[in-house]
Amino acid sequence: MKRVICGILFFSTLVVAQNKSKNHLPDGKAGSLQNVNCKTCHTCDVPTKQNPCLIECPRDEMITVHQTAEQGPDVIKIDKLTNKYLPVTFSHKTHSQMSAMSGGCGNCHHYNTAGPILACADCHNTERKREDISKPDLQAAYHRQCIDCHKEWSHSTDCNSCHLEKGSPITHKVTKGKDHPKVKEPEKLIYETNYNKGKIVTFFHSDHTKLFGAECISCHQNDNCTRCHDTKNVQTVSSTIPEKISKTGSQHHQPCFKCHANDECSKCHLDKPTGPFNHKTSTGWALTRFHEKLECAKCHENTNNFTKLNNDCVSCHKNFVTGKFEHEKTGLKLDEIHQEFDCGDCHSESNLPDGKAGFANKPDCSGCHDDKSYPKDKPGSLVKVIKK
Amino acid sequence: MSEYLKPVPIYLADRQVQKKFFTPGVIVLCIIVLNGLLFLAARFLFGIGSVTNLNNQFPWGIWIGIDVAAGVALAAGGFTSAALGHIMHREHFHSIVRPALLTAMLGYTFVAIGVFVDIGRWYYIWHPLVMWNGNSALFEVGICVMMYVTVLYIEFLPVVTERFIGKVNLKGYLSFFNKPLEKLLRILDKGLNKTIFIFIILGVVLSTLHQSSLGTLMVIAGSKMHPLWQTPVLPLLFLLSAISVGFPMVIFESITASKSLGLKKEMEVLSPLGYTVAPLLGIYLAFKIGDMFIRETFVYLTELNTASIMFTIEVVVGIIIPLRMFLSKKVLKTPSLLFTASALVIFGVLLNRINNFVVAYTPPYSFGSYFPSIGEISVTVGFVALLVLLYRIIVLNFPVISQPDKKFAIKTKYTIKG
Amino acid sequence: MEKQNRRSFFKSAGLLTATIAGASTKSVKASPENILSEDRMGVLVDTTTCIGCRNCEWACKKTHNLPAGELNSYEDKSVFKEMRRPDSSALTVVNQYENEKRINFPINVKVQCMHCDHPACVSACIVGAFSKKENGSVIWDTDKCIGCRYCMVACPFQVPSFEYDKALDPEIRKCDFCFERTKEGLLPACVEICPVEALVYGPRSELIKIAREKIKKYPDRYIEHIYGENEVGGTSWLYLAGQDLAKTKALPALETKTAPGVSESIQHGIFAYFVPPASLYALLAGIMWLNKKKKESSEGE
Repeated sequence: MKRVICGILFFSTLVVAQNKSKNHLPDGKAGSLQNVNCKTCHTCDVPTKQNPCLIECPRDEMITVHQTAEQGPDVIKIDKLTNKYLPVTFSHKTHSQMSAMSGGCGNCHHYNTAGPILACADCHNTERKREDISKPDLQAAYHRQCIDCHKEWSHSTDCNSCHLEKGSPITHKVTKGKDHPKVKEPEKLIYETNYNKGKIVTFFHSDHTKLFGAECISCHQNDNCTRCHDTKNVQTVSSTIPEKISKTGSQHHQPCFKCHANDECSKCHLDKPTGPFNHKTSTGWALTRFHEKLECAKCHENTNNFTKLNNDCVSCHKNFVTGKFEHEKTGLKLDEIHQEFDCGDCHSESNLPDGKAGFANKPDCSGCHDDKSYPKDKPGSLVKVIKK
Repeated sequence: MSEYLKPVPIYLADRQVQKKFFTPGVIVLCIIVLNGLLFLAARFLFGIGSVTNLNNQFPWGIWIGIDVAAGVALAAGGFTSAALGHIMHREHFHSIVRPALLTAMLGYTFVAIGVFVDIGRWYYIWHPLVMWNGNSALFEVGICVMMYVTVLYIEFLPVVTERFIGKVNLKGYLSFFNKPLEKLLRILDKGLNKTIFIFIILGVVLSTLHQSSLGTLMVIAGSKMHPLWQTPVLPLLFLLSAISVGFPMVIFESITASKSLGLKKEMEVLSPLGYTVAPLLGIYLAFKIGDMFIRETFVYLTELNTASIMFTIEVVVGIIIPLRMFLSKKVLKTPSLLFTASALVIFGVLLNRINNFVVAYTPPYSFGSYFPSIGEISVTVGFVALLVLLYRIIVLNFPVISQPDKKFAIKTKYTIKG
Repeated sequence: MEKQNRRSFFKSAGLLTATIAGASTKSVKASPENILSEDRMGVLVDTTTCIGCRNCEWACKKTHNLPAGELNSYEDKSVFKEMRRPDSSALTVVNQYENEKRINFPINVKVQCMHCDHPACVSACIVGAFSKKENGSVIWDTDKCIGCRYCMVACPFQVPSFEYDKALDPEIRKCDFCFERTKEGLLPACVEICPVEALVYGPRSELIKIAREKIKKYPDRYIEHIYGENEVGGTSWLYLAGQDLAKTKALPALETKTAPGVSESIQHGIFAYFVPPASLYALLAGIMWLNKKKKESSEGE
């Protein structure tokens, strides 16, 4: 036994040591973190120091730098290139908040591995005349990042919207990053499509983000400020009037097909707007109270392929057995006597075929007490519900 | 041949002409020349842009299209008649060789002047002689034209020696030179007599080369040229058209000169000459139409635009109609009809050169189309007028036009016209 | 002429043929420098990145000692209303075209000499003033130029311009790929000033690789075509775009065959070491001699 433990220990240190030497998985775990695997960055199977065979800047498969806007710096002073203009004060927080709506931090911090967050100048050369011309120099990198959105938003590429010329009386354009107002999320969107067998598609936006675990960028990756800000090009967002689809089929299906690849067309395309996903009508098992607020993935491990789960409480709630269940979480702390009972003693439901405890109905006191009934009488004391 | 024809200076033949050099026609020509010279002065004082409608989109206009390209083509009479008269040795046609030679010489002189006027840095016109580019069609045209002009002048020298041998008579102090000059002329005459055939053949070869290369010139313009004209066989078409326009040009000139100078029309030479035009023109037409069908460019004729109209006129009026005319015996025998037919061929080739260099040139980027300015037209017309005047002066003073040997002084039934 | 004897005829004819043949070897060498180096440089223009700031126009004029004015004056976007072409006072210009994909975001396309791999101007120039240099640039020697403007006729991109308003010493002008700057290790002026590096200067082969990579990576952003890779046999300047620039008429629609190809092969066909002209000469001389002999014999009878 001792030898086995020794062996395991030795083996695990070996693995950790190997990973450490790779220098880019700081927690030492083999790379499942953020969907990073070797192939994310390397083209060959065995990267070596001499030939790391790194892929080109992979904007498409951006590795999310997991941070909230507020975790980053408020403002940043860009002063690496100041021959003509004063340093630019960049409102980092505001821009991160704007970016959170689409590509997240990766919008600018593209090609950032799971390691430390890199600044533009860490990769982009300050010299225009250089060996590696496959990526732009620092000035161009800054400008491309900024101008792409700025020109769409303001239809202008004026230098003065960011820059102050040297000798200007004002030295800062911004001193503090403002907060971008919270983006209002629609509950549902109704689209009118060209599909003849079912013109109307109802998209339950908040269900997708809150329950189904869809990230903003999985659909909004190509969106930018103009989606809301460009008054000339504003897109109507409505939950009552169907929005006509102008995109091509493949463009519009692409975000949906990430999950709905195997579904029938009629699953989404219908003649009239539908209601949201209903766990009771679709599966026969109603979600109540706590369960209806859970993300699907909390119970269904494989969200690509939903399977029927055992709806025994203990199949998920391992501690839902007598003596271990912390009843006070429901708002009622059982007194010492009642703690000893089986759940089914009170939560009985005679018409349930397999004799399971019927938590959906109110507890039945008649098994022991002739004169007591819930909720007039309680088997303990009320406490404040602890929410997780 | 009923009577023996001998080239003589018209002045010596007919004293009457001498007194009336300034006929109304000549005065008009002089005014046209002066007008052209005025615009020419402006071109040299203020630059090409001040006189022409040329710009970065249309770098070449009618100065190249007419003065140079059409000029070269219409001077083709020189080498075609040299080939017929000397190489093929058809003595019957010897009487047309000298007028054709004079036209060629004057024509090419004006081609050279036209180039001189058109190029921006005219004082470097000698550069191609020392700076060579074997790949350039223009270089080849330039060198060939330079050589051919020289050859033409050499070919013309016998006319000069014939005129002056035994007649050198300088006055005053210069009379000292009379003897050496006489001797020089005789040496020249003797030398030329032995070697002139080299220059005659060289002239034909050089003409063949540059007449075709003039077509190559526009091949490099590629898609900038309208497909109706842009073809890899452009050099061949240019050569064939030059050959077919040679004799009509000689006929045209002969009849015009006869009429203007009040001489007898040489129909007994011109009619057989006209007989050779039809096959030459036929070959040209065959290649032109054949090229059109091989490249399937006839589709462009269904569109109604400047290009299709100009092409149709060029082929129908300039080739098909005169071809039919030259096939008719009646036309060949009637001076006025022969003149018309020849004029149509000349018009056709002139239009072809204008089409190739000006009409067909459609650059991808332009701010409007090109039309020659008054200055350009004035200079071109002025050159043509000057050429006619010079021709007139030379035939009056040098033995160019052949007259029946015995009766040169007595042609009183013709009156002198402009 | 009639007195001409046969022997001297052939002697002279032979002499002349030999002279022409001798001259031909000289003319073969007499073509201008035209190097197609493996390491020739180029510029990759990304029209999806260009913001139309026109700084390149200013920098170009400054470098070439042309009246440039203030840089600020180039912020004037009203010039985009009309298509402009490079001329003797501006060797490069930026034009703006409608974006097919996104109406509000016009495409800016810089035009200048493309520095062809097989330049028509080098082939056409009557005095061989143009040359293609090892670094890819197509430049010319003004001192040789006679101002014939054949280069302008020949250029498939319609680039060379001429000073029509100068009576003396008018010059042909076009982009020279900043030959004087690159010689000293500097970047072309336009590339150096471009704020977004929409112009990338580098070895042409590498630029093509980079361009292919970009197209592969952003298929939505670019059409699958590098303008200049194969047009007229390839050009040093290459363009990436979100739509067909030839269809937009920003750049001319051209085939892949080289611009001087047909013309040169005709020229070389006619002048293959002067054999055809010399043979023609010999043929004509032969015919002339035969005809003369025929006549002499007929007269002798």
